[in-house]
Amino acid sequence: MKKTDPLLALTTAALSLPVFAGTPPTEKEISLRASSYEEDDISKTSVLSGSPERYKIDKTHFRLLTPLGSDWSTEINTSQEVMSGASPWGTFSGSDEQPSLIMSGATIRDKRTEVAVSITNYQDDASYGVTLGTSREDDYKSRSISLSAGWDLNNMSTLGIGFSFSDDDIEPTDAEKFGRIQQAKKQTRSFSVSWTQIINANSLLFSGLTYTNKEGFLSDPYKLRDTRPDKKTEWAASLKYRIFIDSKNAALHLNYRLYNDGFGINSHTVNAEWHQNISSRWKISPRIRYYSQSQADFYLDADDFSLPKTVNQSSDHRLSGYGAITVGIQMNYDLSGWKIKIGFDRYISDNRYGHDSSRHSHPALLDFNLTSLGIEYKF
Amino acid sequence: MNYLKQLILSSTTILVMGCETVAPWDRDVLARPEMQLSTDPMGDALFEQVYLSKEASSGGYKTAGGGCGCN
Amino acid sequence: MKLKIHRFTAMGCPCELRFYGKKEIEIENAFSECVARTKEFEHKYSRYLDDSVTTTINRSAGKNRTTIDQETFALLDYAQVCFELSNGFFDITSGTLRQCWNSQITELPSQIQIENCRSRIGWEKVTYSQTEIFLPVKGMELDFGGIVKEYAADALVASARENGVEFGLINLGGDIAMVGPQADGSPWNIGIVHPAIKGATIATIELGSGALTTSGGYERFIEIDGQRYSHLLNPKTGFPMDSMLSATVIADQAVVAGSITSIALLNNEKEGLRWLENSKLPYLAITKNLDCLGTLARTD
Repeated sequence: MKKTDPLLALTTAALSLPVFAGTPPTEKEISLRASSYEEDDISKTSVLSGSPERYKIDKTHFRLLTPLGSDWSTEINTSQEVMSGASPWGTFSGSDEQPSLIMSGATIRDKRTEVAVSITNYQDDASYGVTLGTSREDDYKSRSISLSAGWDLNNMSTLGIGFSFSDDDIEPTDAEKFGRIQQAKKQTRSFSVSWTQIINANSLLFSGLTYTNKEGFLSDPYKLRDTRPDKKTEWAASLKYRIFIDSKNAALHLNYRLYNDGFGINSHTVNAEWHQNISSRWKISPRIRYYSQSQADFYLDADDFSLPKTVNQSSDHRLSGYGAITVGIQMNYDLSGWKIKIGFDRYISDNRYGHDSSRHSHPALLDFNLTSLGIEYKF
Repeated sequence: MNYLKQLILSSTTILVMGCETVAPWDRDVLARPEMQLSTDPMGDALFEQVYLSKEASSGGYKTAGGGCGCN
Repeated sequence: MKLKIHRFTAMGCPCELRFYGKKEIEIENAFSECVARTKEFEHKYSRYLDDSVTTTINRSAGKNRTTIDQETFALLDYAQVCFELSNGFFDITSGTLRQCWNSQITELPSQIQIENCRSRIGWEKVTYSQTEIFLPVKGMELDFGGIVKEYAADALVASARENGVEFGLINLGGDIAMVGPQADGSPWNIGIVHPAIKGATIATIELGSGALTTSGGYERFIEIDGQRYSHLLNPKTGFPMDSMLSATVIADQAVVAGSITSIALLNNEKEGLRWLENSKLPYLAITKNLDCLGTLARTD
């Protein structure tokens, strides 16, 4: 007979009994995560003027999850980020046809705060949740609401649907000084449907489809020349596969996402994670991600100041065609209710890595390091 | 987008038909923390936010609200 | 915060509810709900009541299928898990062995009598689906006794909570499930009965959450010619088990704790101890020599 952990087997079976079905969390969880994001500086040769120092973001995220009675649970997430660094204002075609950047001068120091509260209700075979969120920074305010529902069908499949709406206000800093738009709005509506299927005792597959519609000011107000359409639709389809490999005492995660939007960008994201149990306390998970996007319809290698401002145009590197690879590792340590998580990831991007790359590699394509440290406690 | 929707629907249909029912006593593996769709919600949120602001794609995980003045 | 205690009898055992509440009327409501729910379980799964689910299923043994509901199906699935984990020793069809081994007998049953009983045992022979069950041999009987009492304890915790009780405990004949600690946050003190000395405690355990169950052959035993035989019967040999005296376990759910202790007692002493160790739960095992072993053992 398969070597089964009797406690786990019985508990799992017990949870299928009507008294326990659709059980909300029984313990409170409190977690803190600090992370540091640091982009590599741009090579000085690519910078025409301004600071080559790229972005640095330090974030602290606090999370509390607690059951409320026997059928409800609530979750509170709050985070604060401090950001500094220069950002690209415009891209110029140099004499050698290689684009180079004009960066903002002084490094920006901005703070962003975000709060989200969720409430979930658990029924025998279903669960329903609502989340309210708000975020704020010097130049950006956002309010959002999202609703979700999940249904458990014959204990082997779960159907999920979700809807979210967000209403944002943009008030770029130094608007008058630099001739930027003073005030703008943006609204996002999104619908998703998902299906999770248990394949066998060791594996499952998730598939999801999301449709998003954005309306309002979608351009980047800090760029010298950046005009984007005021409507955008996005489609994203994803598959997530989970399989446990007994002989290695490890789980393999494989995810794929296909994305397509009205700006003409389509992208592929593939990632894989290997969750290796070392002992009952230690777990180590190496991971790798490959990303590739095509360029937007109105993307230009370099700003063309002869074009009227009303024509769609942007030299934002994030709309160019390129590819990126992230390699990382996470280590988890568990000790009676406490968990410590340490993660490190390195991201590099280049237009040569993409499936449909732009002619020139945008000089602002970035590389970054992301380090995070988390502590969690269940009680 | 039609071909894509068809692909997802057909792959999940094949799996549904090919699945043996997993009895409760065999669900210990599926209940393991490393077998969940999200093993680290806070870590996932961090990556989602980073990639959302530094790349052109978003979504596919869940419907998430909240925006950022991504630069 | 007031503490009220309600005692009643159900499933053939003395039961007790201890709840804290701000208003007496709230506690009384919670008591009534819990007692009613216990009676419902008793009515549904008792072997002795004419119109219970168990009796209906047993009456059709060897003849036809019986329709079952979602809850019964889930309990059957749970019994299947226990059957597999115990390598077939936890078998809810093994109740017929009681015809050979009960308090009325004055001499050991004969091999023929035992074979007769054993021919009507065998969970592996039972077929069931989400809606029906069939016992193929005439005289086969299901007995949910090893699962329902603990399951009821867990159900009562849910009932109590639904009625606003946060601090309290449920005790159904020794199967204990916590609604919550005492009102001041301190745990309840639970005394484990001495297996040999009636009325004495062999260990005291502090518990504020989760559940605690004890399985043991000390209370009900059969004595023949001065030899004591356990009331827990081995479905494979037809004879009583030769196991440790008692096992106590703490788990999140009473039904899980109950299964772990039952299976521990459905093994010989050595295997039973190993089973308890392997469950990784806090446990107290009392061996035939009256040694107290396990993580909960304390010199009392």
